[in-house]
Amino acid sequence: MQKHDAVIIGAGPAGLNAAIALRKHDLNVLVIDEFPHLGGRLLGQLHEEPNGEWWNGIKEAEKLVNEAKALNTEMLTNVSVHHIQRKDGAFVVHTNRKNYEAKNVLIATGAAETANPIPGWTLPGVMTIGAAQVMTNVHRVRVGEKGIVIGVNVLAAAIARELLLAGIRLHSLALPINNAVTDEQSHPKMVMERLSRIAHLAPSPLLRFGGKFAKYKWAQNIAVSFYPKKGINMWDVPIHLRKAVKEINGTEQVESVTMVDITKDGEIIPGTEEEIPVDFVCIAGGLYPLAELAAVVGVPFKYVEPLGGHVPVHNEKMETPVEGVYVAGNITGIESAKVARAQGKVAGLSIAFRMKKDAAIQKEIEKAMDEVKTTRDNATIQFHPEIARGRDDIHAQFNKYLNG
Amino acid sequence: MRDVIICRCEEVTLSQLEEIIKHHDPSARELKLRTRAGMGICGGKTCRPLLDKVLQKLTDKPPTDDIPLKVQPPVRPTSLAQLGGSGDET
Repeated sequence: MQKHDAVIIGAGPAGLNAAIALRKHDLNVLVIDEFPHLGGRLLGQLHEEPNGEWWNGIKEAEKLVNEAKALNTEMLTNVSVHHIQRKDGAFVVHTNRKNYEAKNVLIATGAAETANPIPGWTLPGVMTIGAAQVMTNVHRVRVGEKGIVIGVNVLAAAIARELLLAGIRLHSLALPINNAVTDEQSHPKMVMERLSRIAHLAPSPLLRFGGKFAKYKWAQNIAVSFYPKKGINMWDVPIHLRKAVKEINGTEQVESVTMVDITKDGEIIPGTEEEIPVDFVCIAGGLYPLAELAAVVGVPFKYVEPLGGHVPVHNEKMETPVEGVYVAGNITGIESAKVARAQGKVAGLSIAFRMKKDAAIQKEIEKAMDEVKTTRDNATIQFHPEIARGRDDIHAQFNKYLNG
Repeated sequence: MRDVIICRCEEVTLSQLEEIIKHHDPSARELKLRTRAGMGICGGKTCRPLLDKVLQKLTDKPPTDDIPLKVQPPVRPTSLAQLGGSGDET
């Protein structure tokens, strides 16, 4: 069996940019992705940046794919990896097509979405906000006539705008009703606190409303207490922090949702039930690193809340404590596609250095690591305000593994 | 209000999980074994983070660095022929 210098799992911004770096050093690379198209979640992205420029993910993906193709990179779509085994200091990557041997593996599998489970959430017509994004921007399929978004967070706001741009009607963005799982997503004060941190994402009036109160907890409390009952309009769609969806109704599929008013602490105000007809529901519960393959190949984990939960231990060079296994992109913590792309380059170069031991590559790695930091500092969308602290935590853990 | 399904494959509800947690103070693995939540054909693709959250919230234990439920291969639904190696393996 042919042994690749590197098998890269995931053809998103991280995986593709890593492949480009490796091909530039003339190494033998195979990129595998389970989606029918290359580009990963870049494909769904379309948003306006504060400087007025548009970020078109499909175009960004095209650039990377074209560059990789020009370098004769071998790339496979519709192939799922279900296991990575260690074998004689190298790896066997098990897929639904065949097994591939590799001297190095880069796991760039990105993130998955968490649900906000409320009664009725398993009905046909209920989907994650990310699924609605892919249907709209990638498959160009209309998800429904009129829908509602359950969950108010940065991802929900960004994708809601994309749906509106595609001509899809939304009743509103509202909170999920409180239960053990929806927890902080259902709590007006906690949601306001999180929103206030992304206030710089103008021109959204909601975020500006939150932004005035960004610095002070007492002020956030006031903002929640006096939050308008009608919600605050963003792109003509109300965003509710004092209304929650209690139930999704329908027999064969989604027919309506039941909305209730809630107190500033998230308690239902009795007698406020209102039935709202909708034919689809988007659940926006946030993202977490998709790290199963890192777990099965034996990479240790650390729980780091700012990074989105359990993250495979790694250092700034994208190495894990398992020699030959690398990670890059959202598997290392939830950040923007630009950060993922920059991390991919670091990972690719780190693998190149391991194969060639060339001091010139070491210099390139350092430069690429600086690029990651600069990209992070300039990021317009920050999924968590304490990303930098989270990063320090996970890198410190890597050193502990090396020294312990 | 209707109950909330947490594990779709095995149709395990939030109140079933709450009941087990109340009476047994279980580990993540015990909760899975007692209810079958997370043991369905999808291998916990959707409910894993929900189960972690329920347990963490209701037992008030801080999350550990280890992933609560051990991840086992295959991490994608896979045919037995593929696992047995009778496919077009080279």
